Amino acid sequence: MATRVETGIAVGQALPPLVKDVSQRRIDVYSGVKPRSIHSDEAWARQKGFRTCLAQGMMSTAYVSQLMVNLLGPGFARGGTMSMAFIKPVYAGDRLTVHGVVKDRQNENGATRVVVEVWVENQHGEKTAVGHATGLVS
Amino acid sequence: MAGPGITEFKKLTLETLQVGDEFVSDDHLVIPEDIEAHGFAVEDDHPWLAEGVAPPTLMANQALHLRHSKYLVHAGLHARMEFNFVEPIKLGMRVRTRGRVIDKYERRGKPYMVTEYVTEDDAGRVLVRGQFTQMIIPEPEARPWPRALRPGSRSGRLFHRS
Repeated sequence: MATRVETGIAVGQALPPLVKDVSQRRIDVYSGVKPRSIHSDEAWARQKGFRTCLAQGMMSTAYVSQLMVNLLGPGFARGGTMSMAFIKPVYAGDRLTVHGVVKDRQNENGATRVVVEVWVENQHGEKTAVGHATGLVS
Repeated sequence: MAGPGITEFKKLTLETLQVGDEFVSDDHLVIPEDIEAHGFAVEDDHPWLAEGVAPPTLMANQALHLRHSKYLVHAGLHARMEFNFVEPIKLGMRVRTRGRVIDKYERRGKPYMVTEYVTEDDAGRVLVRGQFTQMIIPEPEARPWPRALRPGSRSGRLFHRS
C-alpha cells in the first residue's frame, strides 16, 4: 500500500464525505444472488416485511473503511479498528452519505491513534449506521 | 442421517444455538476478481490491485457466514460489527476464518447471537479479528415472528443498538 501519512489531523476535523448509490446490481455483486435472500430476492424480502431488497450492513463497513483509508492509508489496514451498529435498513436504490469527524488523538507506542466518529445517512437524512473507527498515524 | 465427516445441519434458533459453538470457514484464495468485484460493489476506486493489497473488509462476509457452516439459517439481520485490522490481507493469500459463539440473548422479544472471529492466512498469522452480533429470524413454524417482522409492519423497528 502506498505510504500516506497525515500529520495535520485535528480533533473536530470533518472528513470529506463519501456518497454511495446503493443499486441492486451492486448489492448482488456484494452479497451474491440467491433465492430466499433478503438481499437479492425481492419477493422474499417483501415476505419478511421489507419494501424491497436490503443492502448488507457490511457494505456500510466497507464505506467507512474507505473513508479511513482515505485519511490514514496503511495506518488503517494495519492497526485500525472499527465498531459499527446498524440501526436502520438500507434499501436498493438508496443514496448514502458516509460521514466522519475526528474525535480524539491518542498516543500509542510512539505513534498517534486517531479516533473518528462515523455515521452513514440515507437520502432522507436518517442515520442507518453509527459507530467509530480508529487508525494510526506513524 | 449424517455419517462420519458429514455435517448435520440444524435449524438455527435461540434454542438450538449453543454458546461455545465453534465454526470454521473454507479456505479462500484472494484473487484479483475478488478485489475487482468488491471495488465495484462498494464504489471503491482505490488502486488495491496495483498495490497487491485487499481492502481491509474484503473477507468480512467469510466471518458473517460462519453460522451457515453448522446451521440452516432461515433469515437474519446484522446488528453490530467490530473489526481489529491486525495485518493487511494481500492478493494471493489463502485465508480462513474461525469463529465461536460467545453469547446469545433475547432483547425486546428478538433473539440475537454474538460471535467472535479471527481471520488468518494459511500460516496461521492473524489478519483480522473481532466480533459481530446477528439477529436470528427463525422459520415461522419454529417460532412466532417478532411483531416487527409481520407483513405491513415498519421494518425499521427491527434495527436497534444491541
